Amino acid sequence: MQSIHLIMLAGGLLTGLIAGFIMHRSDYCIAGMFSNLFLFRSTIMLKTLFLLIGVSMLLFEMVNITGFVTVPFPFFGPPSLANIIGGFLFGAGMILSGGCVVGTLYKMGAGSFASTLAFLGLVIGSTLYAFLHPKWVFLSKLLALPTNTVTIPQLLGISSTLPAFLISVFLIALFVYWLRNAEIETSVVVDGYIQPWKAAILLAFLGSVSVLITGMPMGITTSYSKFGAILIQLIAPERYTDIKYFTLLPLNYTPPLGGETISGGPGAMIDAISLIQFPVIFGIIGGSAISAIWLGEWHLNLRLPWKQIVSAVVGGILMGMASRMAPACNIWHLMGGLPIMAMQSLLFLLGLLPGAWFGTLVFSRVVVSS
Amino acid sequence: MLQESNCKVIDLRGQICPSTLLTSLREVNNSKEELKSGSLKLVLLSDNRSSTTHISDAVTSMGYRVDVDKEREHYMISICRNS
Repeated sequence: MQSIHLIMLAGGLLTGLIAGFIMHRSDYCIAGMFSNLFLFRSTIMLKTLFLLIGVSMLLFEMVNITGFVTVPFPFFGPPSLANIIGGFLFGAGMILSGGCVVGTLYKMGAGSFASTLAFLGLVIGSTLYAFLHPKWVFLSKLLALPTNTVTIPQLLGISSTLPAFLISVFLIALFVYWLRNAEIETSVVVDGYIQPWKAAILLAFLGSVSVLITGMPMGITTSYSKFGAILIQLIAPERYTDIKYFTLLPLNYTPPLGGETISGGPGAMIDAISLIQFPVIFGIIGGSAISAIWLGEWHLNLRLPWKQIVSAVVGGILMGMASRMAPACNIWHLMGGLPIMAMQSLLFLLGLLPGAWFGTLVFSRVVVSS
Repeated sequence: MLQESNCKVIDLRGQICPSTLLTSLREVNNSKEELKSGSLKLVLLSDNRSSTTHISDAVTSMGYRVDVDKEREHYMISICRNS
């Protein structure tokens, strides 16, 4: 392993640890943002997401101007209406499971049994997608929009600098307005609480650190397929070799820190995906666990109503499949794609909103019915 | 669920996020007569940090007195008439 790879590994772990710690302290749950919107018309958390996107947009554009990192980032591709379908299923899944792909990790780190079930569902769903992959690729191509560009500035043939600057200044000005009118702060009743807007700014900076170290924003969902691939290889090695999806290497790039070209994919091998995503995953779980233990709040509570057990697993499976279909998860699209105006991410959001509404409806009517 | 003469304790620990808040608000609404008359104190046990904050905010805005205390690894949210 080259020293550059060690830096990427250590950087990912540290980024994940800090992110997990912050998310636990502020309970920065994106699934909660949307369920609170649809159930209680509460927009405080959603406003912090606007702030996160605005700050990320400014920081990513600054990195882009230096030329240190290429924008759009690796993995982002031209848009397809299939992104909306993926977003819809993801939105429904994250509400049913009680957390998105990252929310599941930090809650699991703090000892949540429901999130541990959702994590298992995520691995199952990501693995099931491997069997659907050829048909989904066919559908994605069928629904592809007639462009080979990835971002809106590319589509319009303009530089991203001016629109990124204007949008980020608008979103940050909006935040200042909300802050002055006390519309973005919650009351503090739990120990060690970090206001969500502060968490949003910190997470935007962590996203930029990820871009500088790995050349791309935080993303973790290919690893869920990898976990499933490792299990299939252990349990049924003869079946594993038949699954074409596990032989793909969609990531093939040279990291901004230099070194040789590295590649990776959803298969069971240790590769660039393991190097980039595993440290972030274990970091988030560890950071949240440290925060919970520090506050004396870590515990494992195995009592859970059976409807919520089903909801967590089914939601996790839906989310796991959708994160491959979308492609990628909400963290990737909302915190990484929207700030660079990626069209895939806009379509993902277009599907995520009705999906989260539908998930909230099912959860409140079926899972929590009296 | 444990019920005493004038104190009703509802254990919401471990539940999926929106369920904690939804169940809490439902219980407050179901017990509003007793709560408003002062004959009942509702105690919710929650280990969900976000829900604890939101329950406190939502129930306070409904005109009740809300006290949040930490009990080992969870939070105890006491709801009663605002005297």
